[in-house]
This record gives sequence, C-alpha cells and structure tokens, in this order.
Amino acid sequence: MITLTDFMVVSAMLFCIGLYMIVSKHNAIQILIGIELILNAAILNLVAFGKYDKVNNSGQIFALFAIVLAAATTAVALAIVLNVYRRYKTIDPDKLTNLKD
Amino acid sequence: MDNFLQSIQSLNYTVAAVALPLLAALINFFLPVKSKVAGWVSTVAILLSCVLSARVFTIIWNNPQVHAQQVWFTIGSTKVYAGLLLNNLSVLMLLLVSLIALPVHIYSTAYMKHDGRYSRYFTYLSFFCFSMLALVVVDSLVLFYAFWELVGFSSYLLIGFWFTKEKAVQANKKAFIMNRIGDIGLLSAIIILFAQYHTFDIAQIFTGNGLIAQSVIKNGLWIAPTGQIPALWQYVACGGIFLAVAAKSAQFPLHTWLPDAMEGPTSVSALIHAATMVAAGVFLLGRVYPMFTQTELTILACIGCFTAFMAATIALTQNDLKRILAYSTISQLGFMILAMGVGAYDSSLFHLATHAFFKCLLFLVAGIVIHQMQHVKKDNKLNIDPQDISLMGGLRKKLPLTFIAAVIAGLALVGLPFTSGYLSKDGILIQAFEWSEGKSDWFKIIPVLALLTSWLTAFYVARLIVKVFFGEFRLLKSKPDIKLHLTDGGWLYKLPLILLAACCLFPLFSFNPFSYNHAWLFSGLKPANFLMHESSYHTIIPVLVNVLSVVVLYAAYVIYGKPDGFSFSQTGFFYRLSYNQWYFDALYKRFIVKPLVRFGSTCFWIDRRIIDGLLHLVAHISGYIARASALTDRYVVDGFLHLMAAIVQSIGNFVRRFQSGKVQYYLFSMLVIVLVLFILKILI
Repeated sequence: MITLTDFMVVSAMLFCIGLYMIVSKHNAIQILIGIELILNAAILNLVAFGKYDKVNNSGQIFALFAIVLAAATTAVALAIVLNVYRRYKTIDPDKLTNLKD
Repeated sequence: MDNFLQSIQSLNYTVAAVALPLLAALINFFLPVKSKVAGWVSTVAILLSCVLSARVFTIIWNNPQVHAQQVWFTIGSTKVYAGLLLNNLSVLMLLLVSLIALPVHIYSTAYMKHDGRYSRYFTYLSFFCFSMLALVVVDSLVLFYAFWELVGFSSYLLIGFWFTKEKAVQANKKAFIMNRIGDIGLLSAIIILFAQYHTFDIAQIFTGNGLIAQSVIKNGLWIAPTGQIPALWQYVACGGIFLAVAAKSAQFPLHTWLPDAMEGPTSVSALIHAATMVAAGVFLLGRVYPMFTQTELTILACIGCFTAFMAATIALTQNDLKRILAYSTISQLGFMILAMGVGAYDSSLFHLATHAFFKCLLFLVAGIVIHQMQHVKKDNKLNIDPQDISLMGGLRKKLPLTFIAAVIAGLALVGLPFTSGYLSKDGILIQAFEWSEGKSDWFKIIPVLALLTSWLTAFYVARLIVKVFFGEFRLLKSKPDIKLHLTDGGWLYKLPLILLAACCLFPLFSFNPFSYNHAWLFSGLKPANFLMHESSYHTIIPVLVNVLSVVVLYAAYVIYGKPDGFSFSQTGFFYRLSYNQWYFDALYKRFIVKPLVRFGSTCFWIDRRIIDGLLHLVAHISGYIARASALTDRYVVDGFLHLMAAIVQSIGNFVRRFQSGKVQYYLFSMLVIVLVLFILKILI
C-alpha cells in the first residue's frame, strides 16, 4: 500500500535533487530542469494531499494549473536563456557576473 | 559801481598773476630737460604776472581792501571758505615778489645756460613764484598753510638743485627739517585759532575790528565773542606763529639753515633766500600782527635784535662770499622782526621791500663774481673755492658794471642817504628808540644793540666790497701765470643789475631822500591811529648812524684796501666765536642732533632686540604649538579616522565576497541560512 508518506518522501527527494541541480549545475538549461523538478515535487505534494478533498478534487485541479503555469514560466525562462546566449555567448550562470559590484 | 567793477577786475588780475607761473611750471615740466624754451616760458609768465600785479597794486593801494571768497568745502555744519584778500600788505608783497622775480628770471636764463637740467630749474622757479604769489593773496589760514608748505617745498627743491653735491643734499635736508619745526608751530597756531574763532578767515579774524580786536585776556581766560578758552592757548598760538616766523625768516633758534641753503644756484639764493621766501615769515607776522600782546611783542623785539646782532658779528669774519650775504640777510631779517616787536609795523614792511631789492642785487653781483671765478678755475685747472673772497681783489676794473651795482647795493644795505636802505633802516632805529623811551633802562639795550649792528653792517659790507673789488687780484699774486678773461657778461646779466640798482635808490620810495615819513610806501602801511612823534631822535639818529658808518666804511677800506695793511688777529676768542658762527651748528649737533641720533639708535636697538625678539619668541612658540597640533591631528584624529575606515573596509571586503554576482552562490547561501535557521529552531 502506497501511503502519503511515500509520496512525501519521493517529493522531498525530487525537491532535493532539483535544489542540488540549481545550485551546482553550470548550465542554465540544467538549472531550469532543476526548477522543473522542484515544481514537480510541489505538484506531487498537491496531488497527494488531494485525497483529503474527494468532493471537489481541488488538489488535482490546482496541480493542473500549476503544470500549465510551469510550462509558461519555462517558456519565458528558455526565451531569456536564448537571449542571454545571444548576448554573452554563454549560458553558464557563473560567467554572467554583470550584477557584481 | 565803478568801485565794484574795479574790485572784480583786480580779483581777476590777481588770479591770473598767480596762475601764470603755475602754467609756466606745468609747460616746463613737459618740455625736454635741456630745452632752452623753458627759460622764456617762465620769464614771459613772470613778466605778465608782474604787469598784472602792478595793475592790481594801483587799484588796491590806499583803497579799501577787496575780499572775495566762496565755500570751498563743508564738514558737518562748518563751512570752510577759500578766497582772496587784497589789501595794502598783500598787493605790496604781490608786486614785490613778481618785481624781484622778473630780473632773477632774466638773469637765470643766462646764469643757468650750461646746466644739464635747465628746464627743471625753471619748472621749480616758476613753481616757487606761484606758491609765493598765492601765499600773499589767499584769505584762508588753511590755504595759507598749504602755500606756506609749497614755498618750503620748492625752496627744498631749489637748494638741492645740484643734488649730486653732497653738501647741497645736506643743506636742503637741513632747511626742510628746520622749516618743518616752524610748520608745526604754524599748524598748531591755526588749529588753536580755529578752536577759538571757528573760522579760518584771515580777514574776519585779524583785520580792523575783527575777532582778535574783540577778544581779551582776563583772569587767565582768553575771551572772544565766539567762546573762551584758557589764556595759555593764546600764548601757545603766538609761540607757534613765532616758531613759524623764526623758521621761514631764519631767526635766532632756527636760523642755521639759511647759510647752508647757499648751496643752491646763486640766482635762487637771490630770489628765495634773500628777497622773497625769507620775507614770508615777516609777511606772516604782518598778517597776524594784531594777535600779539605787548609782552609777546617785546620778546619778539629781543629775539629780532639778538639775531640781527649775532648774524652781523658772524658776517664780519666769514670768507665765503655767499655766506657773508646769507648772514647779512639774517641780520636784516632780524631788523624787520625787531621793528615788528617795537610796534614799527610800517617800518618793518618798508624795510622788507627795500631790503628785497638791494639784497637781491647783492646776490646777483655775487653770482657774477662767482661765475667769473669759476671760469678762472676751469680755464687754469686750479683747485680753489670760487666763493672765497680772500682770493679775489681788484675786480673793480675787470667788472665795472658789477662793481657799481655792488657799491649801490652795499651802500643801501649800510643805509647811507640817497639810498632806499637809509629810509627804511633809520625808520626802524628811530622807532626803536622812541619805543624804549619811558621804559626802564634795560629796554635801552635793544635800540643800542640795533645801532651797533648797523655799524657792524657797514663794516662787513665794506670788507666784502673792498676785498672783492679793490686792491690787487690776490689769486694772481700767488699764481702769477694764470690767464684771466673776466667780463660783466651779456645784457642778460647787465639788465637785471641795472633794473635792481635803480630800485635801490631813493626816488622809487620817497621824493625826500632824508625822511622816511614822506615815503609813499611807509604812509600806505601806517596804522590808522599812527601818531607822529616829533622827537629829537629824528635828527640825532640818522646823523649818528651815518657819520659813524662813513667812518667805519673808511676804516674798513684802509684795513683791507692795502695789500700789506693792518690785519686783525685771527686767534682771539671773539674771532673764533664769529668765525665758527657762534658755534650754533656745533651746539645743535652736540645737544640736539647727536642725542636724537643716539635716541634713534637706542630705539632701533630696542626695536631690533626686544620688540622683534618678543615677536620672534611668540612666533617660535606658536610654531611649536602648531607643530604639536599638526602631530596630534595627523596621528590621533586622522589615526582614529583611518582605523574606522580600515574596519569598515575590512568588513566591506569580507561582505563583498558574498556579492560575487553568481546567482547560484546566492541561492546556495540562502539555502544554508534557511537550513541553519531550521537547525537552530530545532535545537533551541
């Protein structure tokens, strides 16, 4: 029997993996993937907690919205990455240090 | 109406007469230094001045005075006026100055011909004439003082005209400083008069029934219609005036500058130091005459008498031609002051006028003689003093016209009949005797001393003329091989001599050669309340003076005229006293100049050592304080600031490491902080 705890563990693992990717990767695309992983961990949590609302299924519905929004954000982020690449000829966030003092 | 027009006319003429020499001075100032035009510019200006003055003289003489003024400036509510005051005294002086200046100008054009600074000379000379002419006509004490100073200043310029001569520089400094003492006196007198009468107007204060006449000295107070001040101030004012007179007219305590002033060109000596400027003091006395009380006049008489006597004794033994004349001038000025003192106001001014002519003439003669001696010196390359009369002699045949002029002037100076000097000098002597009448016997000393002085005058004049013009040429005797070319000079020399010699004779002043009372000039200056004394003095004095003078003249001729004649011992006390000019210069040097110089150097020492030392000490101390505060500033105040800055910088350096610009690093640190917070939350 798969319990809520298992979902939570998977979600936590996904979150940790996403976080690690965001912090450690040198490629903006991989960081985006990490962000997606964190989002998916959150969506998984929404769906898992959705079992306490079997009448309206608001958890699942909210998960759907989140998925759509995540796709939109990713599209925007990819556009930014593309522009960054055009401008700096790199997508390594370590090398984009224009905000430094 | 006619009178009014005439007075306007006379004022215009006066202004023109005064301004013309100034104009000439200005023109000459801009001419090249050697320009020969300068002489003619000045001479023409003074000629016109002379004509205008003569016209003014005929209008004003023996007519009511003309006085015009306008507001000069206003201080607070006090209006100071400036204007002209023409009365008998001032028009006489106006005419006299321009009349004497004219022949001197003509003479100068020849005398200064070879001078390198010809136009400068005439600039100064014209400037002097302007100052002197203005001095005699102004009506305000302030203006009077200003021109008084200008006269002194131009005299200074002219004495030091040959400023490369060390002696001339010394002489002009001496004259200037001596005159300065007098100027202080005059200035303080003017200030006191203004404090008492609240006006500078000479006419208002002194003439007729003026403010002076209305004020009295009572109970130690000097009471005037305009207020009262302690009587002491009256004495101070009179003392100041006297000091001014003594300085300008070379009277006893301040007379030593005049003989030294002979360093200037001889023509200048003739005009300034014999005839006009030195008369300014007597003129001042004439202007302020009503101010003096009886006692003050007596003091004046004593000083005049003493000066006359002293200067005459000095003139007896001097060998410098010009110095003899200078002392004779001092002596004659002493006579004028004496006359003022004994109340012979009219005689004094009369003598001033006559003296101007014959003394000017004597100086011009001296100028010619000196000029000729200089030629001899230059032609033969001799090392002699061209002014030394002991080297001259027998010039009578070489310089006939000069000789005649000298004799006329000399006789006028002695005061023999038929000359102008006779009229004025006997007037003074007679009035001096009349004055002493009825006073205690001590007062008799003054007229007797004056009488003695006039015989001394006869002696030194005779000595001078005999030594220069009679006998043999002594220089020739000691150096027989020298060449001589002596002449009277051109008409530029002769004309002034003839002109002045004519003025030395009696007809110019009186048709009766034996009585001064008939002189028109004398009667024009007489005070309204003049009383004709009919006393035996009128016959005794002239006879006594002249008989003895003739004897003295003859004696001097005998003594000095013969080459191997009797000569005086040159070692006696009196000889040395006279030869060394009564030791006045030495005394002044010893008791005034030296202590002053010592005082000055002491002051300098104190200034250098003590005051400067103190200042340097203060400077050093403040230097050290400044250095200490600089150190404090650098190490304590700045150190603290630097420490703060260093701390802030190190904190900044530490913190900026977090601001690396790397997004992931930020995220990582955020993560770490959140984790730490959680761990802390759990632990606590």
